[in-house]
Amino acid sequence: MQPPAEHVHWMFATGFLLLGLLLLARAVVGEEVWRRRTWRAYLWPSLLFGLGVLMWPVMVFFTNSTIHLVAHGMWAQTMMVGGAAELGLLRGKLHNRAWQLAVPLALAVSGASLLIHEQNGWLFARAAFLHHIMGWTALVGAIFPLVAIVRPRSRVWGSGLALTLVVLAVFLYADRDVAPIFGHLSPLAGEPHR
Amino acid sequence: MRRLLVVALAALVFPAAASAHATLTKTQPQYGTRVEQSPRVVRLDFDQTVDALPNAIKVYTADGKLLSGPTHTTTGGRVMVAPVSRLARGGYTVRWQAISADGHVVSGVFTFGVRQKAPSASDAFGAGGPTTEEHVVRWLYFVALALLAGGLGFRLLIVRRPFAPAAQRRFYQLVGVGVIGALEVGILAFLLRAEDALQLPFVDFLYGDLSPLAKTRFGTAFVAMTLGYALVAALVFLAWLTEREQLLWPAFLLALGFASGLSLSGHSAADAGSSWLSELADWLHLAAASLWVGGLVQLAFVVWPLEPELRRRAFLRFSKLATLLIVVLLAAGTYLSILRLPHLSDLWTQRYGHVLLVKLGLVSLALLWGAAHHFLVRPRLEHGAPLFAGLPRSLAGESAVGMAILLAAAVLVDSKPPPQPVQKQLDVAARQR
Repeated sequence: MQPPAEHVHWMFATGFLLLGLLLLARAVVGEEVWRRRTWRAYLWPSLLFGLGVLMWPVMVFFTNSTIHLVAHGMWAQTMMVGGAAELGLLRGKLHNRAWQLAVPLALAVSGASLLIHEQNGWLFARAAFLHHIMGWTALVGAIFPLVAIVRPRSRVWGSGLALTLVVLAVFLYADRDVAPIFGHLSPLAGEPHR
Repeated sequence: MRRLLVVALAALVFPAAASAHATLTKTQPQYGTRVEQSPRVVRLDFDQTVDALPNAIKVYTADGKLLSGPTHTTTGGRVMVAPVSRLARGGYTVRWQAISADGHVVSGVFTFGVRQKAPSASDAFGAGGPTTEEHVVRWLYFVALALLAGGLGFRLLIVRRPFAPAAQRRFYQLVGVGVIGALEVGILAFLLRAEDALQLPFVDFLYGDLSPLAKTRFGTAFVAMTLGYALVAALVFLAWLTEREQLLWPAFLLALGFASGLSLSGHSAADAGSSWLSELADWLHLAAASLWVGGLVQLAFVVWPLEPELRRRAFLRFSKLATLLIVVLLAAGTYLSILRLPHLSDLWTQRYGHVLLVKLGLVSLALLWGAAHHFLVRPRLEHGAPLFAGLPRSLAGESAVGMAILLAAAVLVDSKPPPQPVQKQLDVAARQR
């Protein structure tokens, strides 16, 4: 018995919202204050890693197409790698600065996967619209953590990733399995169920 | 790969131009089910409107006889229906294709049984047999399991203390490759099996419905093993991050436990003569081989180059464990060979027998190699003699033979064992009824 896809989207929306709020809090108070409590620094990368682990059940239980399975597998892995790299850097287990690229790359690859696996047009249905806009948001949003690597003290770039994640969460909360977008729903999409 | 890249880029650049595709929501008969009476029609419900060509739904018998009539759509184009002639007792394959209103083709395959169990989707009529790619992928899966379970087992059962930093890094690299390999290769193996069953061109395969495959024994094993190894990956990562060695124990036990997915979905679970005992023997065989080969790799590539003080102790301890593993390996392997080869002559008359002979030849070589280590090198080390200079090369050589055995095992697992005597087949049929 599978839950409706929209319920799974909302669960991950909650995860991304928490992630975004944590990053936003860090950007507001600044890195030094944020790290005064050691455990605080571990919060967001641990959450990101955990979300990656939780994406595996979604991959294996929603197998209605090959591309769907591959896309969910990609998100599971990018989130785990992004979280793991940040945790490794924090803990001093990773020393190469190239690992800082893991989060922007994870966001970019996730965005590309969103766009590739959604094969319907923007106004086909709300879910299709959201996949497109989330894909482009993630792709563009990847610039924030990328620039933040070279400008670590900038609050603008620091809060960019946080806001990107909050926006992604809002989009995911707006998802319904079959629902119109701006009053438009393709007749091919099926009956809206609310 | 290039095709995949082109398709991916095209879909990314022109997403709106890519076509809408319908998803199958319900089938009648339901896939993978046994029905007591012959259905009059095969009906497929979609979440969107579709067009159907006259032969959009094809129903085949196990030997490929087509029993379905022309397909038509109903309910505003969301349902495809094809009449079928009266179906006798047996397994049936449904192959279907639907065209979305803007021309995109979605396809799939499923099976059902009339008064008997439905055949597995991977045994559907028209499914291709295992390919060379599948042999290679299966082999990579075995190698990944050996690196993961064997590496963890070596660390926990043989070394039993933290490594020096450089050896620690190498240990986690090898185990990390193992767990990532188990996840990635597992996905690839599932997709290759699905491609065999669906028999679709590449682009159509991207939109092929994999749900029937996910409900097979193989699919269930894929689901369980993917979830299990994702958890193992998390545990290994946390052990590395927090330097808490105790986290490696649940990772080790889960890695060994979830390897049983292969035993519960392969010949030992599905073929004539299979029982809980054959499944257990298969799992013990796989677990012992993984621990042996993975342990050798750790000994040759972690301990020998990076932990000189540990060499003698690790070699002596591993030698004891290897003896036990080889006893388990041989006992389980002999039992399974007797079960799968009803006649001794099958060894030289059947393809399965030929592959088994190659595997036995490699196992004999590995046993001789191991015996030389056990009976010649071990007593000298126990008496404090200096370490034999060629030993690291010799250990690497034994690991290489172990890898070659895993390759032979991969081909063997994908090969069909010779037919069983009639009584065994009747027993299996009775169980299926």
